[in-house]
Amino acid sequence: MDFLVQQFVNALALGGTYALLGLGLAVVFSVLGLINFAHGELMTLTGYGIFYALFLGLPFPVALLIGVTLATVSAMLMERIAFRPVRNSSPTTMLLTSFAVSTILHILFQNLISARPKAIPIPDALAGAVTIGTLQIGAIQLISIVVTALSLLGLTLFLKRSMLGIAMRAAAEDFNVTRLMGVNANMVISTAFAISGLLAGVAGILWLFQRGSVDPLMGFLPVLKAFIAVVLGGLGSLSGAVVGGFLLGFIEIALRAYLPDDALAYRDAISLTLVIAVLFFYPQGLVPRRESVR
Amino acid sequence: MSRFLKIGVSLAALAISTATGALADDVLKIGFAGGFTGYLAPYDQPTLQGIELAVDEINNAGGIDGKLKIEVITRDMRSEIAQSAVMAQELIDQGINVMLAPCDVDPAVAAGQIAQGAGIPTIAPCASTPTLPGIVGDYMFANYTADNLQGTALADFAIQQGYKNALILISKDTPYTEKLPGYFAKVFEAKGGKLADAVEFKMGQQDFSAEVTKIKQLNPAPDVIMTAAYEPDFPAFIKQLRSAGIATPVLGSDGIDSPTTLALGEIAEGVVFANAGFPSAGSPLAKFNDAFKAHFGQESSTVYTATGYDVIKIVEAAVKATGGKTDGASLREAIDNLENVPVATGTITYKGMNRVPLRVVALNRIVGGQKTHVADVTPNGADVPPAE
Repeated sequence: MDFLVQQFVNALALGGTYALLGLGLAVVFSVLGLINFAHGELMTLTGYGIFYALFLGLPFPVALLIGVTLATVSAMLMERIAFRPVRNSSPTTMLLTSFAVSTILHILFQNLISARPKAIPIPDALAGAVTIGTLQIGAIQLISIVVTALSLLGLTLFLKRSMLGIAMRAAAEDFNVTRLMGVNANMVISTAFAISGLLAGVAGILWLFQRGSVDPLMGFLPVLKAFIAVVLGGLGSLSGAVVGGFLLGFIEIALRAYLPDDALAYRDAISLTLVIAVLFFYPQGLVPRRESVR
Repeated sequence: MSRFLKIGVSLAALAISTATGALADDVLKIGFAGGFTGYLAPYDQPTLQGIELAVDEINNAGGIDGKLKIEVITRDMRSEIAQSAVMAQELIDQGINVMLAPCDVDPAVAAGQIAQGAGIPTIAPCASTPTLPGIVGDYMFANYTADNLQGTALADFAIQQGYKNALILISKDTPYTEKLPGYFAKVFEAKGGKLADAVEFKMGQQDFSAEVTKIKQLNPAPDVIMTAAYEPDFPAFIKQLRSAGIATPVLGSDGIDSPTTLALGEIAEGVVFANAGFPSAGSPLAKFNDAFKAHFGQESSTVYTATGYDVIKIVEAAVKATGGKTDGASLREAIDNLENVPVATGTITYKGMNRVPLRVVALNRIVGGQKTHVADVTPNGADVPPAE
């Protein structure tokens, strides 16, 4: 029983990080129809931001703030420099552009900063654990769960209450009609990228707490997981991305905890097969995007 | 001298120079097909720095034996196996005398096979899978501490410490992360230890909570945990292990010889790991580190710079041994018979080793965020499990 509850908490923490990442991809996809594969590089940028801030002797919380700000600003710049010129091209063009941005950033990190990982010392206070009954929750896991919850809450409030948020939801349903209502397209898209950058920055920090270093290729794997989460939940659906992220976290942890040793090597194959099975029954994802009637 | 005689002499000279290969232009060409971008960049870029330093030193002294200068030609194989073979062929077309392979076993095999066919000796500066030379053939040499040697050194240490019950953390994603702990387990069991469990992880998974929870459930708890996981997996694993309240000692491999491990603080305290050498005061490695700093204006961040330097010293020693011959067959023969070549990380012997070098393995303990020297060990050859 303890084992089960412990693994449940583990899944919650991991799924939360996936949810944040997936949400970052989904926000941009919902308004632009683009899966931004350079999303992972925003996490990497967060890492380098923190690294250089600490290098300059700034206190740890300030460094974290700088990291997230850097990711947010970079996301907006990415949109302005790389994606705006091809905004009206085919989705394939935009997809390839995002791969190009990702590759260019990899090479720049490798050649201008370092191919070797850069260490980010994490304060010892974050290494502890909280004991609740027989349950032990690592400080970082706890932070992951709390931060995910807060981010989701904040984003929901923004989308439901603020003018810009409402405009974004409208744009997600039908961009053209939204523009006819007098909503500035650049504004909406720029905000979508800013939010995705912010989420990437927050997820990047959670990731960095675990790994303690930043390297040029750090964003590659998380963006793949986020992509799976987004497809699982339903492309373009924000709540879907969250559901997909948590589901992926639960599947992964369950397989790692309960698969017999001989079958462990196949767990990625099994988890992806489960994802395909879900898509077989829900081809639009678990929480499909609402389509406006045309 | 008549005109005909002159032509005859120069023709003869040409024939001789063709026979002895690159000696004609008094330059030894070394080709390095490395992964300077992509996932191998963290290893192949520092390796290249070490190579540059060694070549500079030798050339500034007038070349090998004061006469034969070295020219290094590099090609970026972009960390892709297919590109590795293509770049190897390009380098051979440039007329190289010695090939250096990328830092991972699979692309190293791809490059090595091309050179094997062309009769050009290949050295892999840091690929550590002991089966590598055997897979490719008699022109392929390893340079780095082989995984079975390292596993044996760590197992010997574990037995010495009185550990009885070991757990290994492995990943089947690479031979290094799977086989090195496997070699450790073999030796550990052969010397009376018991293997509690082998827990598997996926490289890059970041989250080790499921594995840590499993380890926590083990009864009896293991005395020691050994792994060849490295960044970013190792920091993530040990953090989650310690925050779950598991204080079991951890043994690691040379993959964690990195500033990140030292920056982990309290968590990494007491971790013992093996690597290719410890820079004790006055040691060749300390001298190398000083020379590196003087040359590049920064500290060497990894031992791969030193092992890159070593490769050039091996080539230098081989050319000296042939008496200046630079054709593939003579060089191959010479490298295969090298003994106690002084290099940056100590000494290297190939004679009788089936092209996998005999090197010293250094054991380090992390104390207060610093590497401290535990011992330099040369495992007993009979204890080292055969490469698999």
